[in-house]
Amino acid sequence: MQNSEELKWALLIASLAMLAMAFCMIAFVMYYQKRRFEEEKKISDIEKNYNRLLLDTALNSEETERRRIAQDLHDDIGTMLSLTKLSLNQLSKLVANSGNEKEESIMKKSQSLVEETILHVRRITRDLVPTTLERFGLMEAIEEFIHKLEEDNNLVIAFQSNTEEFPRQGQKLELTLYRIMQELVNNAIKHASCSKIDIVLEIDEEMIGLRVTDNGVGFDPEKIKESNLAGLGLLGIESRLAIVNGTVQYEQPAKGGSSAIARIPVNPVSGNKPEPLHPFRREKVNI
Amino acid sequence: MFDTYSAYIVNNPISSIAVFITVLPLTLTIARRAFLDKSLRLLFCYLAVKLIIDLAMLHYASNRTNNIILYNLSIPLFYALLGGMFYFKFAEKPRRQFLIISIIGLFFFCAWDIVNSNEDLQNMREHRVVLYSKMVEGVLMILVILLYFYEIIKSLQIPNLLTFPFFWVCSGLLLYYSSLIFIAPVIHYAYTWNNTMDLGITEFIPSIFEIICALFFSVGIYHYSPKDYAKQ
Repeated sequence: MQNSEELKWALLIASLAMLAMAFCMIAFVMYYQKRRFEEEKKISDIEKNYNRLLLDTALNSEETERRRIAQDLHDDIGTMLSLTKLSLNQLSKLVANSGNEKEESIMKKSQSLVEETILHVRRITRDLVPTTLERFGLMEAIEEFIHKLEEDNNLVIAFQSNTEEFPRQGQKLELTLYRIMQELVNNAIKHASCSKIDIVLEIDEEMIGLRVTDNGVGFDPEKIKESNLAGLGLLGIESRLAIVNGTVQYEQPAKGGSSAIARIPVNPVSGNKPEPLHPFRREKVNI
Repeated sequence: MFDTYSAYIVNNPISSIAVFITVLPLTLTIARRAFLDKSLRLLFCYLAVKLIIDLAMLHYASNRTNNIILYNLSIPLFYALLGGMFYFKFAEKPRRQFLIISIIGLFFFCAWDIVNSNEDLQNMREHRVVLYSKMVEGVLMILVILLYFYEIIKSLQIPNLLTFPFFWVCSGLLLYYSSLIFIAPVIHYAYTWNNTMDLGITEFIPSIFEIICALFFSVGIYHYSPKDYAKQ
């Protein structure tokens, strides 16, 4: 009888101990799994930030290099061309006095070629560093870009904004939007065979939206992504947007063509007036 | 007839609830279409077989007929069905091979155990519960569950275990077999036709955890969604 009672207690205790272990095991699995997921998330965030930093550095280096080339063009080649033009002007006067018509004609041709070269250098310099963007802001820079494009191409480019005075944004954000707009418009011209491009710039309290729509052949963004056909242009857009927490969405309007919408959180510039970036001043890379 | 059953149910409420609670996960499996998943389909089969065997045992018990043979024969069958669930869940081949070997092994072991535990196999009236098989089944089941837990921790593919159906199934089984593992061999000595040893509250522990296990199954199946079928 005594043994039977002892056996009952022993069984009860052993079973309860086993059950306690089973409960602990379940709790441990849940806790450990949760902790490992948190750790994985942390590592993933660190990797994401690191990649973002790398991209930011690469883009900063690109901009710095553009400035350096623009500065060299302006300071060295530009100055030399200006001096050449001055010398040619002086030589032109001498040739005019000699009365030789053939020499005068060659002289004028040389002068016109030098002037043309100076204009080309100025254009390349401005393309490399968007001075209008830095001095006057995004709307003016886009208008200038459109104006230049319409001169060179047989294109109709319309630009709209939901505000007359577009508030100045951080330097990086404005440059990102400008470069994306440039890339999208250039893509439309190069690949879409379009005759009309619409650019819409919108701002609300939280987001800035940039929409570029063309009436060209259009494309299926999903197919391009699946087939790894996304060129450096589209990847560049995504990389630039990743740095400023922006997103891009491609659509195919029902009437044809294609449409790209980039959205970036608003980042108003601190202080009253942004410091203008002179294209010919060497900038330090900010990492 | 109805009076016999109701008298048995009134006298043994906990073990009777453990029989009828199986209807809950079974119904949920049909309602949630959980049988789309291979493992949960086997769980459905297990629950259906278990309900049939439990009802048959309840019938015999109500009529004071020895039903132990059903209990003994159900051991390898239940392990085959429950172990089979893990066959579809294990990613690594050696674990799947271990499962198959253990299912076949337990079948033969159980057959030996039935012969070993009963001097006269023809005598169904005094047929006795197997001595080791239920405990071996419990050990194997706990081992398989722990191996599966190790696999899910290692693979990190399930972000939230509380909404993962099979985690609830495993937890229910782990609790049930943990409650049974020490009691199972004692049942051989405790439950004989002529002499029944009173185990006190310990006697009800497996039945209580059978009910808890069925509730865990129900929670797991409730979380099943045919949409996530491919992800599991």
